[in-house]
Amino acid sequence: MAVNDVSFSINEGETLGLMGPNGAGKTTLVNLITGKYFTDAGDIQFMGHDITKLPPYKRCKLGISRTYQIPRPFPELTALMSVAVSAIYGKDRENQSLEDAATEATHYLEFCGLFSKRNVLGKDLTLYELRGLELARALATTPKLIFVDEVMAGLNPSEATKAVRLLERAKEEFGVTILWIEHVMAALMKAAQRVVVLHYGKKIAEGLPQEIANDPYVIECYLGSCHA
Amino acid sequence: MELEVKREKLVLRIGKGKYEWHIEPRYWRNPFIYVGILIVLPIIAYFVYPTLLPTIINANILVAIAIPLGWMTVGTGRMNFGPQFYIGAGGYAAALCSIHLGWPPIVTLPVTVVTCLIFGLLMSPLSIIAGGLYYTLLTLLFPLVFLEITFIFTDIFKGDTGLFGVSPLISGGSFGTNQLMVCLLSLFIMLIYMFIVDKIMRSKFSASMAAINDDEEVAEAMGVNVKKIKIISFTIPAVMIGILGWFYAHYYGTFSGITYLPLSFMLKVLMVSMIGGRVQIYGCVVGGYFIAILELALQYLVGDYSSVVFPIILLILLLSLSEGLFGLYRKRRYREYLPTLHVRR
Repeated sequence: MAVNDVSFSINEGETLGLMGPNGAGKTTLVNLITGKYFTDAGDIQFMGHDITKLPPYKRCKLGISRTYQIPRPFPELTALMSVAVSAIYGKDRENQSLEDAATEATHYLEFCGLFSKRNVLGKDLTLYELRGLELARALATTPKLIFVDEVMAGLNPSEATKAVRLLERAKEEFGVTILWIEHVMAALMKAAQRVVVLHYGKKIAEGLPQEIANDPYVIECYLGSCHA
Repeated sequence: MELEVKREKLVLRIGKGKYEWHIEPRYWRNPFIYVGILIVLPIIAYFVYPTLLPTIINANILVAIAIPLGWMTVGTGRMNFGPQFYIGAGGYAAALCSIHLGWPPIVTLPVTVVTCLIFGLLMSPLSIIAGGLYYTLLTLLFPLVFLEITFIFTDIFKGDTGLFGVSPLISGGSFGTNQLMVCLLSLFIMLIYMFIVDKIMRSKFSASMAAINDDEEVAEAMGVNVKKIKIISFTIPAVMIGILGWFYAHYYGTFSGITYLPLSFMLKVLMVSMIGGRVQIYGCVVGGYFIAILELALQYLVGDYSSVVFPIILLILLLSLSEGLFGLYRKRRYREYLPTLHVRR
């Protein structure tokens, strides 16, 4: 069982860190909440709605969006069209044509620093640009909650810093709530208000970043019993 | 519903939806020339070389099959290898109604549409359930199963000989005039299909189809109702292809599954798409006319050997022109199959 008996909540406007060793079930948990997988038991509540049985597109329209650990762009679409798809379908908007959506998409591309790459195909973007594109695509759905899956993976230190700043700005400007999965503990400790730790699909700790950093069981899970 | 012309744009508002089309007369010259050539060609053939008319009709219908097939391919993100199933369904529906009930083409047309709509809807879940090779194999299988059914229930379908006595599409004039009228009708159907699919490919519906074509899972996570788009993209093209079965039945006055349901017919349609360029609406016209004329030319040049030479030439062309004939043009003037939107700051 990849995820078992996990229960937590996230408050509006908060950045919640989700951490755990490899194979802990972090991405599976995100897949369950975003609707890629369905739960066998339990329920998922989002802003008063029971979304347990909703398909992914309906969850997206309610305001849940995500980025992927390994970027998954639309390879044959330009950056502009990729974001425009989210702008059109992310929420049911009245009186919005394809061109209106494209104009809206430019706003998100500009926010992520990709305006100059708007006519470049997804397959031709660099990893850092793909991270930006994924964020632009997620923001274009006008989400209330974004799942950010290991945004720093594969980036060099300067790119990683820029990516973190971008996330902070997104939170500030768009008022989104962020659930951030990350392996780089330093970044998570700085950015997250609370942290949830998973291990073998179970929640083993939840609390303030400092409390988590000093939790002997978390240290044991990460570094082995000799460090605890 | 509200329609307004605003700054070179035609804006249509239906309920909460808004649709915009650019009216750009400066780009109208070339389409007018090409459509003009397509209209004038059968008229010239009628006066100069009437035996060419069936070839032109054949080309128009092949193009008209390939265009909705392109839509189906993009919208479902899968390659359908059995579009001839709907030709069979449409053709038999029209032929049976015409022979047994004596209905004229205008009445059998709605019957064909309803029949293909039902078959399309029943089979559309395949595009959701089956993926990749499985979908291709299943769609390949359906026309062959249908062909077997026509042989098993030979009392109804006359699988071995075909159904005879279907009322003609156009009657009253001389044979030559009727041929010309049928040719223009086939051209009209092809142009209508081209117009519809072109408009769809430039709409926001196309954005969802392109996203599905690239990555279904991500498209759904971004709010696209993948199942709905796939069912629409499967069913409507199925009906459009089925209407061509109606055309064949009434044009020839006979309909037999053995002509349209085997793989050889599908291969020709597929070649139109491949030679013209994958999912290229305008490329299909080039591909359709090329295939039809090549087939005719080979019959004259090599006679009985054409059944061997024809596929060999097509294979050589496929290997040498991976992007199709239209691809040669596109290399010089590159365009995406979906609109590239240019936005200024």
